Amino acid sequence: MLQVLESELARVAALSVAQPTPVPAVKNARGRLSCVRCGQTAFATLPSGARYCLSCVGMGRVTTGARLWRVPLAGVPQAGPLTWAGTLTPAQAQAAAAVQTSVAAGRDHLLWAVTGAGKTEMLFPVIADALAAGQRVAVVSPRIDVVRELAPRLSAAFAGTPMTVLYGGLPWPGENAALVVATSHQMLRFYRHFGLMIIDEVDAFPFSQTPALAYACRQATDGPTVYLSATPPTNLRRQAARGQLARSFLPRRFHQHSLPVPRILRVATAGLPGRVPQALWRCLAQARAADRRALVFVPDTRWVAPLAAAARAQGFAARGVHASDPAREATVQAFRDHTFAVLVTTSILERGVTIPRCAVIVLAAERAQFPASALVQMAGRAGRAAASPNDPVWYLAGHFTWAMAQALHEIRVMNRRGQP
Amino acid sequence: MTCRWCHRPLTTDFTLAELIGLRPLRLANLCPRCQARFARIDPKTACPGCGRAHSPRLCQDCRRWQARYPSLHHRALFTYSEEMRLFIQQYKGLGHYQLHDAFVAELDLKRRGVALVPLVSEPGHLARRGFDPVVGLFGHLPLSRWLEKTDTAQPQAEKTRRERLATPQSFVATLPARPAARVLLLDDLYTTGRTFYHAQQALRAAGYTGEIHSFSLIR
Repeated sequence: MLQVLESELARVAALSVAQPTPVPAVKNARGRLSCVRCGQTAFATLPSGARYCLSCVGMGRVTTGARLWRVPLAGVPQAGPLTWAGTLTPAQAQAAAAVQTSVAAGRDHLLWAVTGAGKTEMLFPVIADALAAGQRVAVVSPRIDVVRELAPRLSAAFAGTPMTVLYGGLPWPGENAALVVATSHQMLRFYRHFGLMIIDEVDAFPFSQTPALAYACRQATDGPTVYLSATPPTNLRRQAARGQLARSFLPRRFHQHSLPVPRILRVATAGLPGRVPQALWRCLAQARAADRRALVFVPDTRWVAPLAAAARAQGFAARGVHASDPAREATVQAFRDHTFAVLVTTSILERGVTIPRCAVIVLAAERAQFPASALVQMAGRAGRAAASPNDPVWYLAGHFTWAMAQALHEIRVMNRRGQP
Repeated sequence: MTCRWCHRPLTTDFTLAELIGLRPLRLANLCPRCQARFARIDPKTACPGCGRAHSPRLCQDCRRWQARYPSLHHRALFTYSEEMRLFIQQYKGLGHYQLHDAFVAELDLKRRGVALVPLVSEPGHLARRGFDPVVGLFGHLPLSRWLEKTDTAQPQAEKTRRERLATPQSFVATLPARPAARVLLLDDLYTTGRTFYHAQQALRAAGYTGEIHSFSLIR
């Protein structure tokens, strides 16, 4: 079912097959309000005395006294077979089978696989199972860039299956589809709609910091959930360790090479972005000399433009991209297409981006904006291609931090456990 | 306290003058970073008629208005940039009332001897939103609610420029026994000026003889 506000009813009328049922939008348990759509309890008061949910106001205001409408859709459209011709490695096939077993038993599953292990391909069997059983499948991620990367791969793998892509800025509600690829925010618009929920990059911002999104994903499905991450959050690791959550673990990349271990260079970062450490140019020159492209991660959006300009002044074909950049999609695409060689960016590209033969430099790696999971993910952008598994990773930092130690430890542990 | 726009913690540096009470204390609800995201209008180069940015001489639109009505000498603080469009979409479009005091530090208007008259919303919109966006923005000031608006067929935001200019008068003014000598009309947004000049004419029709100027957050 779709779950929409009264003002949105007209937009979904074309998809509706039966009379929508209204439910109160806000639950009142002895004076304690909670939002029926996102499950949160933080409310603001209007001058009229009504109160509205602060957590999900960005998806349309849920106000006391208003109603949410649950809109039943026509049956699940006929899904086609898996049209992916590739094969899984034995380790991938084993993990994929474990996920299938859990899902068939109706259990949640954590697929813990290092960056570049081929998580998306491992999902194909379980998605194909659910579609063949006539269920709807949601593949969601908190990151819009990850959704944009996943969507074409999934539509190629399920070419005969009606698929809808949803994220802020795209036309909504789309069509009645069997496969939905969306940002996690979009799950606020569904209620018990999916038979299988797959959450990619479950530890990424904003999913990890926003309980409303986890609630929305639970509400949107009445079947099991598969969590995917290279750096799972502690609560999921703990649940898996206690046996409450089935887990498969893949410490090896699909090409069987180990993860590149970051090299730490101590540099002066206090003068950034104005005074750029010479080490950055040396690293970039080294990467370019080996004909590698380079991703330079910076902790602050305001550094992006000056550093890209400084890199151009040093003779590198560099551009910058950040979250509120109007040319964000175009710039990332141009980088994929080899239009330029050095991309200066923030943590928006730390996940879900695969650039073959690409060096990674994290500038000011000691900053609080880079927790251990982010450092691991950024390092995971290097060495993705089988042809170039040893791309260099550099952390340029003013000093050593606990997060950097954790990241190095995690990468080394994965490499050790992945030893054949 | 967190910034109303980016929700990051808000820290304020006070000047010595503010601390010892020589200047009135103004607490911003936006962090410096977010304040810089909204594009301000430089009053020195703004149009003397409507406050449009980068038009030091009276602009074409104002010359047309001047043929019909006396000038309002409109002033505005910000341009309708992409960021401001997002703000208005959240505040008025979604009805996110918590944003109403985001610009409270900037909207510190002179109030002595001036009646601050908000251009209130029509009853239908008020009922739907649960608040009046203009009264929300300027709620920290003593407002004189002399104007009332009747329901119109279509909101201004959904109209083209030509349709906006052809909008009929929908304001009715009720003056107090001894109105202030000067009036400052307040609204969130000045687009064509049609609404403001209607408000001016409504006050005149009710017999107001003082000076009428106008002010908005955005031009």
